[in-house]
Amino acid sequence: MSKTSRHIQTLVLILFAAYALAPVYLVLLASMRSEADLFSGPLALPWPINIDNFLRVWRESGFAAYFFNSLKISAAVTVLVLLSAPLAGFAFAKMRFAGREGLFALFLAGLVVPAPSVIVALYGNLQTLGLIDNQIGVILPQAALLMPFSVFMMRTVMQEIPDELIEASTMDGATLFGTFIRIVVPIARPGLMSLTLIVFLFSWQEYLLPLVVLQTETLKPITVGAASLQGRYGVDYGGIAAAGLIAFAPIVVLFLIMQRSFVRGLSAGAVK
Amino acid sequence: MKTILALATGLTVASTATAETIVTQWDQFAQSGISAAGPAMDELIATCQPSLGGATILRTIAPSIGIRDSYRLAVSAGKTPDLAYTWPAASVLAGYARVGALALLDSYYEQYGWDHVNDFYRGRNSHDGHLYALPMEQDLMGVYYNKALFAEHGVELPTTYAEFQAAAETFKAAGIIPVSFGNRDRWPATNTFSLILGLTAGLEAEQAVLFGDEPWTNPAFKQAAETFQAWANDEYFPRGFNGVGYDEANALFLSGRAAMTITGTWVLQDMIRGAERIDLGVFMLPPIADGVPAGTMWGEGSQWQMSASADQAVKDAAAAYLDCLTSDASRQVWVEKGHTVPIGTTPDELAEWGADPIVQEFFAAGLATPDSNFYDLHTTLPESVTQVLYPELQRLVGGEVTADEFLAAMQASWETAIANGERWIP
Amino acid sequence: MSDRTAYIFLLPALVLYVAFVALPIAQVVGYSLFEWDQGIIGDFAGLSNFERMGGDTVFWAALSHNAIWVVLTLAFPLMAGLLLAAILAERNQHVIRWMSAIYFIPRTIPLVVAGIIWGWIYNPIFGLLNYMLESVGLGGWTGAWLAQSETALLSLNVVGAWTFFGFCVVIYLAAIQSIDPSLYEAAEIDGAGWGRKFRDITVPLLKNSTLFLGLYAAIEAMRFFDLVWVTTQGGPGYATEVLTTHIYKTFFLVGDFGYAAALSVVLLAIVLAISSISYFLLRAK
Repeated sequence: MSKTSRHIQTLVLILFAAYALAPVYLVLLASMRSEADLFSGPLALPWPINIDNFLRVWRESGFAAYFFNSLKISAAVTVLVLLSAPLAGFAFAKMRFAGREGLFALFLAGLVVPAPSVIVALYGNLQTLGLIDNQIGVILPQAALLMPFSVFMMRTVMQEIPDELIEASTMDGATLFGTFIRIVVPIARPGLMSLTLIVFLFSWQEYLLPLVVLQTETLKPITVGAASLQGRYGVDYGGIAAAGLIAFAPIVVLFLIMQRSFVRGLSAGAVK
Repeated sequence: MKTILALATGLTVASTATAETIVTQWDQFAQSGISAAGPAMDELIATCQPSLGGATILRTIAPSIGIRDSYRLAVSAGKTPDLAYTWPAASVLAGYARVGALALLDSYYEQYGWDHVNDFYRGRNSHDGHLYALPMEQDLMGVYYNKALFAEHGVELPTTYAEFQAAAETFKAAGIIPVSFGNRDRWPATNTFSLILGLTAGLEAEQAVLFGDEPWTNPAFKQAAETFQAWANDEYFPRGFNGVGYDEANALFLSGRAAMTITGTWVLQDMIRGAERIDLGVFMLPPIADGVPAGTMWGEGSQWQMSASADQAVKDAAAAYLDCLTSDASRQVWVEKGHTVPIGTTPDELAEWGADPIVQEFFAAGLATPDSNFYDLHTTLPESVTQVLYPELQRLVGGEVTADEFLAAMQASWETAIANGERWIP
Repeated sequence: MSDRTAYIFLLPALVLYVAFVALPIAQVVGYSLFEWDQGIIGDFAGLSNFERMGGDTVFWAALSHNAIWVVLTLAFPLMAGLLLAAILAERNQHVIRWMSAIYFIPRTIPLVVAGIIWGWIYNPIFGLLNYMLESVGLGGWTGAWLAQSETALLSLNVVGAWTFFGFCVVIYLAAIQSIDPSLYEAAEIDGAGWGRKFRDITVPLLKNSTLFLGLYAAIEAMRFFDLVWVTTQGGPGYATEVLTTHIYKTFFLVGDFGYAAALSVVLLAIVLAISSISYFLLRAK
C-alpha cells in the first residue's frame, strides 16, 4: 500500500475518533464552567479548573442519592440475572427435556420485546403488587427484560463446555447442581464476567422503566435524575454537564478497564 | 400559634376522623430550588394536622412533569391518592369526574363556605353542574419586558397592537430579539396561542367554538393563527425557536438579548432571581383585533381533588384540611414562604405580606384589564385534542402548515373528541 | 438427567420472564380489544382499535420514520464500522485496542445523557455546531437542526450512529481477524491493492456479520425511545415521531390505553417478524 493511502486511512481513523470523543470532551468542558460563562464562547478553556458544579449537583441536587440508587438497582438486577440465567442457559445447552425447543423459542422471542410495549400492562400489575414507587418494581421487570439476552448468551457459553467433563462429574456421583457449581461455573467464569458487565451496563442505562415506576425523588436512578435536571435547572448547563458526567464516567472507566469482557459479551452470538 | 390558627379556621374538626385516619396526599411542591413551595407545604401540614381530629396527612411529592401522568396511571389502577394537587383543571378534571374517579365536593363547599372561589373558578372545577376540586394558587399571563432596552431604544410601553408591532420592529432593526420564545418542550406555544386567540377572537367567539357548535375553521380563529405565524415569519422570535427550551428562552430574555417574553406568573421567582442583571417590568399584551376588549388569561395553577373511593372519614378529614390550607392565615404563608398567590389574595395583602414588587405589579396589571378572562387551551381542551394541538402549533409557527391547515387539523380532532364525549363545558 | 431437574434449572429465569414480560404481553393483546376512558376499561371493542390505525396519519408517519431510521443506520454507522474495522485490522495490537475502545465509548453512555449532550450541540442559539460553523466562516450553513422538520430526523440519526458505529467496528473486527490471512497473501501475490482486497475478500466474507448487524440495527430502530424523548419528544410537529413515542403519548398523555395497546401489539408483531426472519437467515448460512 502506498504511503499516501495509508495516511488517508490514518486520517479516517482519527476523524472518527474525534466524532466519538468530541461530545465527551464538550461535557467535560461544560461541567467545569460556571453559569455566568453561559454566553461566552462555548470553547473557552476551563481555567482555572473548578469542581463547583460537581459538588453542587452531588450535594444539593440529590445526585449522591441518584448515583447510589443506580448502583443499588443495577447491582440487584445483575445479581438476579446471575442467579437465574446461567442455570437456564445450562439447561438449554446441555439437557434434554420435553418442551425444550418451545421454551427456548419463548425466550428467543423476548430478545426483541420493546419495553414501551409492555409498560402498558406492566404498570397496572406493579400497582396491584404494591411495587409502584418501589425500587423492586424496577428491579424485577428489568431483570426479566434482560433475561432473554442473558439466557441466550449463557446457552452459547455453556455449549462450549465439553460434555465429558460433566459426564465425568455426574458419574462420580455428584448431583447435576453440584456439577454445575463445582465444574461448570469455574469454566464459564469469563462468560459470567461478561454477563455481569453487560447486564450492569444495560440496567445502568435504563430510563423508561424507572421514569414510570418511581415517583419519590430519593428513589430515582441517575438517568432519570439527569433528564429531570433539564427541566429543573433550566439553563444550568454546568450542573447538567456535571450530572451527565457522573452518570457515565464510572461506566466508561469500568469499560476501559474490562474492555475485553465487555466486547466479548456484547458480541456474543454475533460472530459464531 | 396553633390554637389561634385552630380558632381562625373555625374549629371545623372532622367529627368522624380518628387517630387511624390517614389522608394520602400527592402534590408537586418542590422541596428545594429558588421557588420551592415544598417547605411551606410542610409547614402548613404541621399547622393544620392538629385540627383534624387525629387524622394524619401522608405526603408524596411528585415533580410537576410527572404528576399529571402518574395520577392517570394511579386512577386506572384503582389506587387514586385520597388527595391530589395536580394540573390542569377543567377539561382534564372533567375527564376524571366523568369516569367517577373523583369525590363530589358540593357539600364541602357549602359546609366551609369557600366563597373566595368565584363563579369563574367554580366553573373550571366543575363537571355536569357539580364541583369536583378546590383551586388554590392563581396564575396569569403577561409580557415581561426589559426596561433598560425599552428606554435605550426610545420605546414606550405599547398600549395598542400597532404599537406592539412597532416596538418589535424597532428592536429587530437594532439587532435585538423582540420576543424570546422557545417551544422545544411543546407546551409553551399553547399558552402564547391561547393569549393571542383571546385578544384576536375575544371571549364570545371562543365560547362559540369551545362550548357551542362553531367550528375552529372560523375567520376569527384564522386571524389568530395567522397572527401567531406572522410573528414567527417576521422574526419576532429567536431563530430555531422550536429547538429552544422554555428555560432557555427565559434565560435568553434575562441575558438582555431579547426585549420581551410572553409567559405566566409561574416563573416570576425565576425571573426575579435572574433580574439581578436586567431591570424587569411587566405589561399586558394589547388587544390584537379591533373591538376586542383588553384581557388576559387567569387561572388556577393546579387544584386539589379527592378520590371518590376514599372512606367518608378520610374525605371529611381531607376537606377540613383543605379548609385550613386555604384559610387567611395559610394564604399568608403561601405568599411569604411558598412564593405563590392564592385565590382571593388582594393587592393590599400582597403589599402587606411583602411580596416582591414585580409580583405586585404583575397582579395589579392583570386586575386592571377589564373583566374578560380568556380560555387557556391547556385547561379547556381534552387531552386527546391537546396532544394534537402541541405538534400542530409547532408546525404552524414553524411555517410548515398554513393557518387553514392548522385549523382543519384541530377541527378534526375536536370532532372526534366531542363524539367520544370528552368535551368539557363549565 | 430427568426432565424435572431441567425444569428446576429453568424455573427462576422462567418465572421472572413470564411474570414480567410474557404475561404483560398477553395482557396488552387483551387490552387492545377493549375501549378505555381515562385508563378505565370499558366495552369490548373487537378490532376497532386496530382499524383506527388505517386513518391515523401519525401512526403512518411514525412507522415511516422507523423505516428511514433503519436505512440511515445501514447507510452510515454500518458502513463506517466496516471501513474502520478493515483499516484497523492491519494496524498493530496497540492501535487496535485503543481505537476500538475509543469508538466504543459512546455506546457505554446512557442514551438519555447522549440525547442531552447532543441537544446542546444542536441547540439553535447556544449550540456548539452553529458556533463552529460560524467561526470557520460557514455562517450560512447554520441551522436549527433538531427544530426543522427537514433536518430533525437526520440530525437525530447522527446521534444514534454515534452510539452505534463503535459496536459495528468491534463486531466486524472480530470477524476480520478470523479470516484466513493466506487469502489476503494470495491476493497480494496477484497484485491486488487494498481496495480490491477489501471489496473481493473482506466484504463478502463478512456477510454474516453484516446480516447480524443489519438485523440488530433494524430491531433497535423499531425499539428506540430514550433518545427521541429527551431531545424532541417527536417534534417539531411529527418530524421525529416514532412508534414508541406514539405509544407513550397515547398511553401516558392521552390515556387511551386500548389504542396504545393496539399500537404495542403492532410494534411487537413487526419486531417479532424481523427477528424470525433474522433467525432463519442466520441459521440458513
